[in-house]
Amino acid sequence: MTERMLNILVIDEDPGRAGQVEQGLRESGYGRVTVVRPSLDLVRRVESLAPDVIIIDLENPDRDSLEQMFQVTRELRRPIAMFVDQSDAATIQAAIEAGVSAYVVDGLRKERIRPIVDMAISRFNAFDRLRRERDEARSALADRKTIERAKGLLMRQKGLDEEAAYAAMRRAAMKQNRKLVEIAHSIVTAYQLDV
Amino acid sequence: MAKTTLRIGYVPLLDCAIPLVAEAEGFAARHGLALELLPEISWAAIRDKVAFGALEGAHMLAGIPLAVSLGVGLPAIPMVAPMALGLGGNAITVGLGLFRAMRAADPAAMAGPRRDSARALAAVIAREQAEGAPKRRFASVFPVSSHAYELRYWLASAGLDPDGDVELTVLPPSRMAESLGTSQIDGYCVGEPWSLVTLSAGIGAVVATKADIWPLAPEKVLGLRTDWADRNPEVLAALLRAFAEAAVWADAPENRPALARLLAPRLGVDLRLLETALCGSVALAPGRPAEPLPHRPVFHAAAATFPWRSQALWLLTQMARWGQIPRESDFAGVAAAVYRPDLYRAALSGGGLSVPVADLKPEGAHDAPYEVAAVERPAIILPPDRFIDGRTFDPSEPTAYLAGFGRGEVAVPGASG
Repeated sequence: MTERMLNILVIDEDPGRAGQVEQGLRESGYGRVTVVRPSLDLVRRVESLAPDVIIIDLENPDRDSLEQMFQVTRELRRPIAMFVDQSDAATIQAAIEAGVSAYVVDGLRKERIRPIVDMAISRFNAFDRLRRERDEARSALADRKTIERAKGLLMRQKGLDEEAAYAAMRRAAMKQNRKLVEIAHSIVTAYQLDV
Repeated sequence: MAKTTLRIGYVPLLDCAIPLVAEAEGFAARHGLALELLPEISWAAIRDKVAFGALEGAHMLAGIPLAVSLGVGLPAIPMVAPMALGLGGNAITVGLGLFRAMRAADPAAMAGPRRDSARALAAVIAREQAEGAPKRRFASVFPVSSHAYELRYWLASAGLDPDGDVELTVLPPSRMAESLGTSQIDGYCVGEPWSLVTLSAGIGAVVATKADIWPLAPEKVLGLRTDWADRNPEVLAALLRAFAEAAVWADAPENRPALARLLAPRLGVDLRLLETALCGSVALAPGRPAEPLPHRPVFHAAAATFPWRSQALWLLTQMARWGQIPRESDFAGVAAAVYRPDLYRAALSGGGLSVPVADLKPEGAHDAPYEVAAVERPAIILPPDRFIDGRTFDPSEPTAYLAGFGRGEVAVPGASG
């Protein structure tokens, strides 16, 4: 069996992340990649797919059920949990931090598994980074709206021009050692009744 | 003085009380520790995080440090269990349909003490096998869990083959009641409050408890990597002292309502269920009067936190009995490397708590309360500890005990059906 023929199964609650891992593996030339979402018949589905390698979210609650299935399987090639070579502490660390767990059928050489695990780790991390960036972008947009609203309120209520209203908020933020958006929140809250 | 911060994992269950109390009630702080308590849903995640150093220690099934040290389920990594985290807690619950079938099949077995209930199940299964009905499905929480061994022991006590006459599966505790309600499974063995959830929904009955199968059975332990324990003896001793004090607190009847309130949000279950589990009464089956839970958790009394090496040996015999490890395994060597009563004694002797002198005891040999000697303190009274089938376990003869179960070969589990 060549590397590319390894039967790889990706189990993930998050279809977006699973898709990223699948795409990465396919781009690396692994042709037999299946993605399943956890479900009530997950154990039976895994049994019928008989994968060589399973990539699964480290904290997936279905892992305990899967391990029971591996233990009673009639197949002699039972998968065991491992992240790659025990001596490769950095990869293990990276896998745990990324939240990646891998099950590998007993007897497969570690060097064959490692690129697959590395790919999963990098895609998990990339997916988390994208999600974080998206969340940050959303919150930055919300912050800007709040600041604009506070500025408008100050201009109307205090008869300030735009520049002066903004400068007043900046001064307050510096004096109180708070973020500009926090000052803006306070202003919006204070004027809430008038809005 | 700066505190040492330890990352301690736990699975939200009644018996994660000791680590939670140690932090919440200030016992950890008193010993210079700050505990970062991290909940996990799966035992596999707890195991991996401790095994690979993402957690310093965790509340874990007693079988896990033994299994990990032996390389069951993942490559072998030496781990230690220097403390148990209490006694009790588990029960076997079946759906009402099966309960009624068991009562009809063997009214005498179901009318008597719960220890006869497996006989009634065997009668139901014999009839269903003759009719060609599908196998009944029973769930526990992990392949090397106390729950799995108790369920298997209970089934086998009535002559049932857990790997042939029924189908065994694993589910997270919080999904048991729902799975029973939707007939995905016919019964399960799990810690509280996950039997009470089913009882309170009126969809099942408790047919046996840990108290019926083996009252002093091992349950959870504090599990750590051996190399971490070797490098941090003083921190570990401080942790054991904090946990021992937390166990005393958690056992005090006056603290149990507060314990229920501490646990309820962590477990995400109704406070009343936890109050029932910790200090209340309940009808275990339709038509029965309410009674205090026979498997009510004990955190401190009866040397509940002492890591008896004989219990590690017993767990290893069960792993071998069911084909999880070879029958030729070095039981004594593994038990001695993993279960560490010496670390417990070194940390806790002379601190006002009673610590057993012996590392091992005969298991299942007592019909009445009995005494074990304590280090420089009055003897500790332990309750009767009979197994459901009346066997006794002599820890110096694990191989003979194993042979006594009469299952000559268990090469491939699952192949016997």
